[in-house]
Amino acid sequence: MSSSRQVVITGCGAVCGSGLSPESIWDAVCQGRSAIKEIRSWDARRWPVRLAGEVTDVDNRTLVEDRKLHKSVLRTDLFGLYAAGAAIQRSGISAYRETLPADAVPLFNERSGVLAGSGGGNYKNQYEFFPLLTEAADDMERFGRELGTTVNPMWLLRILPNNVVCHVGIRHGFKGTNACITNQSVGGLMAVMEAAAAIVTSEADRAIAVGHDTPVEPETLFNYHRLGLISADAVRPFDQARSGTVFGEGAAAVMLETMDDAKARGATILGEVLGSGCTGEAGGVVELRADGDGLSRAIQNALRAAGISPDDVGMVVAHGNGVPNSDASEARALRRVFGDRLPPVTAFKWSVGHLIAAAGMLDLVLALYALRDGLVPGIATLNSLDPEFVPFPASPLPQQPRSGIALILCRGFGGMSVALLIRGFPSASSR
Amino acid sequence: MTQRRRVAITGLGLVTPVGNDAPTTWESLLAGRSGVGPIRGFDASGFSTRIGGEVKNFAGPSGDVNKKLLKFALPSHRFALAAAEEALRDAGIRPESATAHRWGLSVGAGMMGVMFDEIKTIHSHAGLNGEFNPDGFLDREFPGDPVAFCRSQTNAGLAVLTRQFGIEGYATAVHTACASGGQALGTALKVMRRGLVDFVLAGGYDSMLNPIGLSAFCLLGALSTDNDAPERASRPFDATRNGMVLAEGAGFLVLEDWEAACRRGAPIYAELAGDGNSLSAYRITDSHPSGDGPIQSMRQALADAGLSPRDVDYVNAHGTSTPMNDRSECAALHAVMSDHVGQVAVSSTKSCMGHLIAAAGAVEAAVCALAIRHGVAPVNANYVQPDPNCAVNLVREKSKPMAIRVAISNSLGFGGSNSTLAFRHPQSVPRP
Repeated sequence: MSSSRQVVITGCGAVCGSGLSPESIWDAVCQGRSAIKEIRSWDARRWPVRLAGEVTDVDNRTLVEDRKLHKSVLRTDLFGLYAAGAAIQRSGISAYRETLPADAVPLFNERSGVLAGSGGGNYKNQYEFFPLLTEAADDMERFGRELGTTVNPMWLLRILPNNVVCHVGIRHGFKGTNACITNQSVGGLMAVMEAAAAIVTSEADRAIAVGHDTPVEPETLFNYHRLGLISADAVRPFDQARSGTVFGEGAAAVMLETMDDAKARGATILGEVLGSGCTGEAGGVVELRADGDGLSRAIQNALRAAGISPDDVGMVVAHGNGVPNSDASEARALRRVFGDRLPPVTAFKWSVGHLIAAAGMLDLVLALYALRDGLVPGIATLNSLDPEFVPFPASPLPQQPRSGIALILCRGFGGMSVALLIRGFPSASSR
Repeated sequence: MTQRRRVAITGLGLVTPVGNDAPTTWESLLAGRSGVGPIRGFDASGFSTRIGGEVKNFAGPSGDVNKKLLKFALPSHRFALAAAEEALRDAGIRPESATAHRWGLSVGAGMMGVMFDEIKTIHSHAGLNGEFNPDGFLDREFPGDPVAFCRSQTNAGLAVLTRQFGIEGYATAVHTACASGGQALGTALKVMRRGLVDFVLAGGYDSMLNPIGLSAFCLLGALSTDNDAPERASRPFDATRNGMVLAEGAGFLVLEDWEAACRRGAPIYAELAGDGNSLSAYRITDSHPSGDGPIQSMRQALADAGLSPRDVDYVNAHGTSTPMNDRSECAALHAVMSDHVGQVAVSSTKSCMGHLIAAAGAVEAAVCALAIRHGVAPVNANYVQPDPNCAVNLVREKSKPMAIRVAISNSLGFGGSNSTLAFRHPQSVPRP
């Protein structure tokens, strides 16, 4: 991006099965700990697959103080509001707003955007119609007549995919450009892509980007299992014995603003967004091209947008969901772009699970910590690298990034791929 | 920055309650013909509202559509396939292997992915006594259908469309309730300007006209209950308005680089000239009575297009026919247009079509393009009794021939997202 408006990250927040802060999630990754356990939100003893990275023992008040919201939005929204609130809080942007003269505040708010990647429809909410279906049997007339006495009148408002956008706006006063991206797993990282673009093009001066999702529910697990996408034991990215993915749940968020604004207000800069790419493969809902065509083009587009070459990339946070054909095509896409000069590759889903719409966003937040610490964490479940990929610089042991730039990859249904490049701050070279 | 890229609308396609293609829809809108009637898709006799804007006699997408792919398509995705095919045919250009990477897709996607029969199936295995029992999925007799699950994914429509038309560039699905379609067009414009792609198929699709969708709106009390006068039920800005009418359909537009469109001699409907996008940050359903929120989206769209309020000839209003929305939107129009407000023709084509929810903004974008091309502002049907809180220059009684240099379209959603799009006549107002 040749524009003079550089986009930096000045706050981040996250919640998943490993913890309630980016630090605790990062520590778990570095210590080889995984949040993936037997499912607790329902009795899954009879299930052929029964693992997930659930957020347990966290009450709603910890996530969102306002009790009214606990009933008026879904749990996925509470995660999103929690992560977004944490990122905004850490950036110090609200405290800074309080120092502005009163007449400058409305414009400040109108220049503050909210972009979410939302998991959108979950399935459980539809079961709230079960008592009515039972009562009405197959009598539709009765279904309509008894509706008002059986189902919560606010049902629709509670399940809106854009509830996080709405309530981040209300709670934090952000009134600018906004989007709720419902592009399955790539939604979260696309929120960062669009937020950064809004700032570069002066549509906004700052924006919160958040991804949130709660895929750990019976109907989703059952169907992913039927599609052959779920592992019964662990997520093993790039391993010869990889057998599928495991769901996680939660949210992650980053606060973005211009480099100039961040410096002027003395904010701590965590990283810089350098460029991004987004592509599709036109194959259908679950099809993936074996050669990784879409993903390799997304990476090339991101490199071009950032104005850097493959050799400048210091580390890769792969999508690495542990699904056999997904990891294989991802390894091939990386080979296509980097040839035999691949930087260290890692992936985090073995520790946190696959958070679907929040996955790429959580990977981005963890990548900030990796660059901060100059550490590419090992993939703890990687026992035996798939020989097809060798040589491939993924390891169960920690590695060192070869520069202060990380490439984050995210893939989803519909053959979608998103690639995002960030620079850590202070950049490795300047330390 | 270098000179900003201009974006041309060169094709459009519609499937709506008033017509299964763009010409038929346009003709109905000009005549003020309503597409609202008793719901026939299912037995709605017990519901407080029993009317809707259904798509009628829809034969399915035309052209060469893969049968297997159709299994992955919800009813709203089929509307989308048909509208998108019409738009591409109209534009006279479509993705080919050499250009697939330079085509993008941006859609406002409806939020409902599961068909009523599928919910009933799960109910009969996993909730027959009213309580959900997860182990019901494990029943040997449970006829789990992975295709139905794929269809229910938030980006399933996107997957079906990219596959059908071979689109391999940037693709996105957005959902901000009733603002979705407008925001999808806005995203498409921005992606074009950023140079990520050279063409975008942009639009929206939705159908909530099923027992669960109708329930959702009935429970909220958002719908008109004028079951005995369906054609008059949607009457935006009329003093007696009493709620919106739920409708379904799809609208798609082909966007391409202005210079490229000129070079290939493509007829241009209009320039998609500006996007405004704001968040009311007020309440989840209500808009602020002052019009705060839509005021910002309208101002931004005009500023983005390099226009002033005085340039606007026609507003395709969000105009849902709910008491609150129409009042708030008019307050916003007054604030933005100030003393020019009487010179701007305003109509809500929801008066004929009803509210297409996530598709509304895209369908109404196509209506603005048609209004500019044909030089006619479509009528705000069913407007009889003026509301002093809605004192804008409505297109009354019949559609109004007039030169439209600039049109804007508002889409204001539950959740407080507001979208305004600005359109400019291809021969008007040389770029500043």
